[in-house]
Amino acid sequence: MAGYRQRLEQDLDRWIGASLVPAENRAAILADVGESRRLDAATTLAAVGAVFLGIAIIAFVAANWDAIPRIARFVLVLAVFLSLCGGAAWAARRERPGLRNGLLALAALVYAAAIGLTGQIFDIAGSPPAALHGAGLAAGLLALAGRSSGAAMAGLVLLGLGDISDGPFREAAEPPWLIFGAPLGVALAWKWRSAPLAHVAGLGLVVGALLALMRLGPPTDAGLLLTAAAFAAAAAAVRWKRDAAEAVAGALFGWCVLGALGFFVMAGFEGGAFEGLPHRIVWLALSAGLLALARADQHGAAAGLAIVSLIGAVCAILFDLGLGLMSAAGVFLVSALAALIAGWLMRRRAAA
Amino acid sequence: MKPSLPLRILVAGAGLALALVGLVVAEGQARARGQEVRLAMEAFDPRSLLTGHYAALQLVHALPEGVPCPDGGDQGWLALTPNGPVHRLAGAAATREAALKLGPVAVRGEASCLGGEPTRVALDIGIDRIHADQEEAQAIEAALRGGPEAAEAVAIVSVGRDGRARLKGVIAGGRRTDLDWF
Repeated sequence: MAGYRQRLEQDLDRWIGASLVPAENRAAILADVGESRRLDAATTLAAVGAVFLGIAIIAFVAANWDAIPRIARFVLVLAVFLSLCGGAAWAARRERPGLRNGLLALAALVYAAAIGLTGQIFDIAGSPPAALHGAGLAAGLLALAGRSSGAAMAGLVLLGLGDISDGPFREAAEPPWLIFGAPLGVALAWKWRSAPLAHVAGLGLVVGALLALMRLGPPTDAGLLLTAAAFAAAAAAVRWKRDAAEAVAGALFGWCVLGALGFFVMAGFEGGAFEGLPHRIVWLALSAGLLALARADQHGAAAGLAIVSLIGAVCAILFDLGLGLMSAAGVFLVSALAALIAGWLMRRRAAA
Repeated sequence: MKPSLPLRILVAGAGLALALVGLVVAEGQARARGQEVRLAMEAFDPRSLLTGHYAALQLVHALPEGVPCPDGGDQGWLALTPNGPVHRLAGAAATREAALKLGPVAVRGEASCLGGEPTRVALDIGIDRIHADQEEAQAIEAALRGGPEAAEAVAIVSVGRDGRARLKGVIAGGRRTDLDWF
């Protein structure tokens, strides 16, 4: 498969032939792209050897775990964790951000395992949520200390697991930790321009809000609509600031839209005052509006979400009307006219 | 001056490692300083897990003849009273002070009656397993399932001033297993 540099060389030759690019710029453009990094055979074999050595050590320790004194097991667990932190510090010093990020993410996961193993080695009883939340906080600390999006993602996942480990309805008085961790994750994703972290934090926002609502008791119309409005406001804010961090904004916009639509849809199925045709018509209008917006912004995920939402709204209307086809025909005719008129008005304004 | 990235990583890693060491030392001290009680228990169930082996235990004992099962076993605090070489449930209460009026030892947890005659009661005080070598756990289980030795199976528990119960060891089939650093 041709790499970017190879394709660029071919394109450059074609553009120079067509007089689109001066021939004397060819070398400068290629120098700007640089050579892609490739591992030589010796480095590859060394990496494979290191992996095999690691597996051998793990297998040896596992085979003799029972025979190792408790204190030695504990020291071993700490040594693995500290070695990963040391490796990450070395990578930071050598300015290898990918390696630093990966080692810190691994260190965060090893620390989570270390909490469990320490509890097991010394028979320290504790609640699983507390252990998972503790591991999540530790991962967050490593992420902040080493600017590691990987450790931050591990931290959010651990916090989420802690929130759901004893069931979503666990303690009404205790809010899910995700509602504090996910906004921090969003801020870090924005600051570090990390789209993967933005995805995890965005998912964390939605799950955290859902858990918070569930712990407050049976969700009410007002609570669901307020949450939907908050997510819609967040989506608007992210879209407004999208130029500052395009990839991150795109990921967050998608999750905020999912939250807004999801909570709005739920509000129409809770048996409250908002249930019925008014809710379905607003749902239909929101889905159509989102589809238009997503197409304009070239946001594929949001467009897909809007289409699924449209299908859902149509199905809900047909179900609500008891498959009364004449009533359904009236509703969809009005919706179609509204969409056509809105589109015509927008095109007319664009032409003007 | 802002500390460099490598320094921050090392400080965070060392801090987290120290936190883990602190947890182990603090738990060890609390275990050593707590009041020791012995509670009867039932069958061990050695299992093989990904991370090692543990023997599940259930703290169950019979109440004296004619003593009914205490009400409100889920209030949060249990009172224990000596009953020969072991302790037994004396009652349940909502606070430590109220529990101490029912028995000399107050521990956080819940009790549930299993019925029977005399009444059998199970204690949930956060201790439901002891991690042991597979060989050791299987030996203990064999002793327990052997017959009359089962009646002598006791958990040695330390009850701290915070009301938390911490396992110190078990005696099953005349064999004592202690939790220590080694």
